[in-house]
Amino acid sequence: MTGRARVVITGVGVVNAGIVGDSAALGAFLAAPRPAPGIAEGQVARVPASALSALIDPGDARRLSRVCQLSIAAAQLAVRESRLEPTRGLGLVVGTEFGDLASTHVFADGFLERGPSGLSPLLFPNTVMNTMAATTAIAVGARELALTLNAPTVAGELAVARAVAAVATGQASAVLAGGVDEIDPVVEQQLPALGFADRFGEGAAFVVLESRAAAEARGATILGEVAAAAWRALPARPWGVGRQRRSRAIEAVLEEAGVDAAHLGAVYVSASGDAARDAWEHAVLSAALGPQAPPAAALARLLGRHAGLGVLRVAAAAWTARSGLLPAAAEPVTAVTRVSSRAGLVHGLARGGAHVALVVRAA
Amino acid sequence: MRRVVVTGLGAVSPHGIGVKAFWSGLAAGACAIRPLTVIESEGFRCRIAGEVPEAVAGSARRTRADRFAIAATGEALEDAGLGVAERADAALVVGAVGGGMLEAEAWYWAATRGRPSVSLPAVRSVLPCAHADVLAARWGLRGPRHTVVTACSSGAVAVAEAAALIADGVVDVAVAGGVDAITRICFMGFNALKLLDPAPCRPFDRARRGMSIGEGAGFVVLEEAVRARARGVRAYAELAGYGMTTDAYHITAPEPEGDGMVRAIRDALGQARETPPAVQYVNAHGTGTPQNDRVEARALERVFGEGAVLLSSTKSMIGHTMAAAGSLEAIATVLALTHGVVPPTANLETPDPEVRFDCVPRAPREAVLDCAISNSFGFGGQNVTLLFRRR
Repeated sequence: MTGRARVVITGVGVVNAGIVGDSAALGAFLAAPRPAPGIAEGQVARVPASALSALIDPGDARRLSRVCQLSIAAAQLAVRESRLEPTRGLGLVVGTEFGDLASTHVFADGFLERGPSGLSPLLFPNTVMNTMAATTAIAVGARELALTLNAPTVAGELAVARAVAAVATGQASAVLAGGVDEIDPVVEQQLPALGFADRFGEGAAFVVLESRAAAEARGATILGEVAAAAWRALPARPWGVGRQRRSRAIEAVLEEAGVDAAHLGAVYVSASGDAARDAWEHAVLSAALGPQAPPAAALARLLGRHAGLGVLRVAAAAWTARSGLLPAAAEPVTAVTRVSSRAGLVHGLARGGAHVALVVRAA
Repeated sequence: MRRVVVTGLGAVSPHGIGVKAFWSGLAAGACAIRPLTVIESEGFRCRIAGEVPEAVAGSARRTRADRFAIAATGEALEDAGLGVAERADAALVVGAVGGGMLEAEAWYWAATRGRPSVSLPAVRSVLPCAHADVLAARWGLRGPRHTVVTACSSGAVAVAEAAALIADGVVDVAVAGGVDAITRICFMGFNALKLLDPAPCRPFDRARRGMSIGEGAGFVVLEEAVRARARGVRAYAELAGYGMTTDAYHITAPEPEGDGMVRAIRDALGQARETPPAVQYVNAHGTGTPQNDRVEARALERVFGEGAVLLSSTKSMIGHTMAAAGSLEAIATVLALTHGVVPPTANLETPDPEVRFDCVPRAPREAVLDCAISNSFGFGGQNVTLLFRRR
């Protein structure tokens, strides 16, 4: 893997129950973290309708499903902050866990209520999980590769990792990487029966990634560098948690970034309230980082698990590297601690074994 | 960049289980599009599809699509001669759309009518990524794993993604492909869009009226070329290049001039360091819809010139197998190179004058093939071209 470009973040866009805006809004939230409305009561942390409508063109609001609106709103915020010219070759990688299941249910209900005549041809494309990427690509003019990656828990950070590879290897000069999820009522109703014990949220987050050389050449503000990214799998049954602690993903990113575990300042983890999965992740991190493991932050406690959160954690790690501040892992969740190192780890581990690690450092 | 070769093939298709059945059907020009039995079709204009015609072995706890994927990956791994130790670090990239939707629909239909008949755990497999978790656990694949959803081009994207992981030096071997079972949502949706032909589809025919849906799984084992040679394994072909682009134009319709398709084909040629005259055969996306076939032909004409390549559609024989289409068609392309036989376009009676290529109507054609491409396009303008070279 020689000749790889260094990959930097030049734009951030976030739309969720606790944050709406670019890297400044994210930084303001992280400096004074607070649980999103409803999350402490065990409810899904939802994006207020007013917040979304303020960001979306009225025509798009009528035409597009809500999850597509979330995706477009966050993507446009990120592109705007990056000041990237839309004519440049732009790729897109979107991670999602649930896709547009809300539209799928409405589409199916049309048939169940009225037979074939009740089927909406306009809704059908939304039943395919790449609908958010397709509408977002149109909205921002992304004409290079456009991938939708589906994974439980780690879809967002996986999207960033894949996008980093695309920029590093020259597959695209810039890639918009994001995650988006919406929890529709049918899914919400079934979550406990399906064995989900997590705190759930919804929303979208995107980062603009480009080569450091390209960003510097156009005078872009560099918010952080993704020094390494890797995804692997740990052995586990489908939907199960495993026992293996050795993480080849973490080993790979520390080696590629040239960072010793002892010199990491912070870890943003994917812990989300699923006790068995969270314990497995803790064991994996302990094995990889040793007794001197850096302090950890678990933002799902504040904003709820959704694919956007994985991307947000990458942007948050860049903020921590810049500011030296980290939202506390322990109670109270509103505390902020100071960290010394300008490099941090973003980690995600899903039931079933999908596993992602990234090293993010200050530019 | 490291070279990538294909060392294993696995298929479950409307022609039956296994690559041998798949190729026998294609090489005979047999159409496997028949009356639909997997789901109810009463009241719909189209009532046919390319169904997998026989039961696929496997636990009843697995979804139909999972059983397809397990069978196809198992065949590909065996074909490549990859043992447990050799595949432990392999990447797994799965293209999927429907996931376990067929079973989830059964639950939802029953639950909506107040009589749930399907156990809820089966519904957990609804997400497309469920296949990858099942396959990784079944075969002990612990390398990079991801699931791509790019609508009808998902299987081809999965193959391209796996090739990238090998070419970039992340892994030496990868299992990649696509899988989909017929679902009510898919069948009803394409009916609602009026994109299905009531008769078996007729790609590139002047009288074509739409597509036929299908189901199946196609998986390949890709390896770094030096490693494959060191193992003494047969390489079917080299995956020499690929291109992935997006139209960013419309959610369902292709960009009318085929710009995105042209860029995907040219990217694949460029990566393979080939020029258009090197390509003798194009395994088309070839759905049979009036608009798609016309735009694809226009894109091919812009790259290769009128009539410069042989062109045929696998979908004319097995239907559009959704996420499996791109990988099954990649396998068809590899086998065409291997056997020196171009599978035909079945049901093609009157060629569309706007498609200015020899579309190999109805009967297979022997040809000396050194280089061929496979095109796959999906909703959202997701264009993929895979370029294979004979070994």
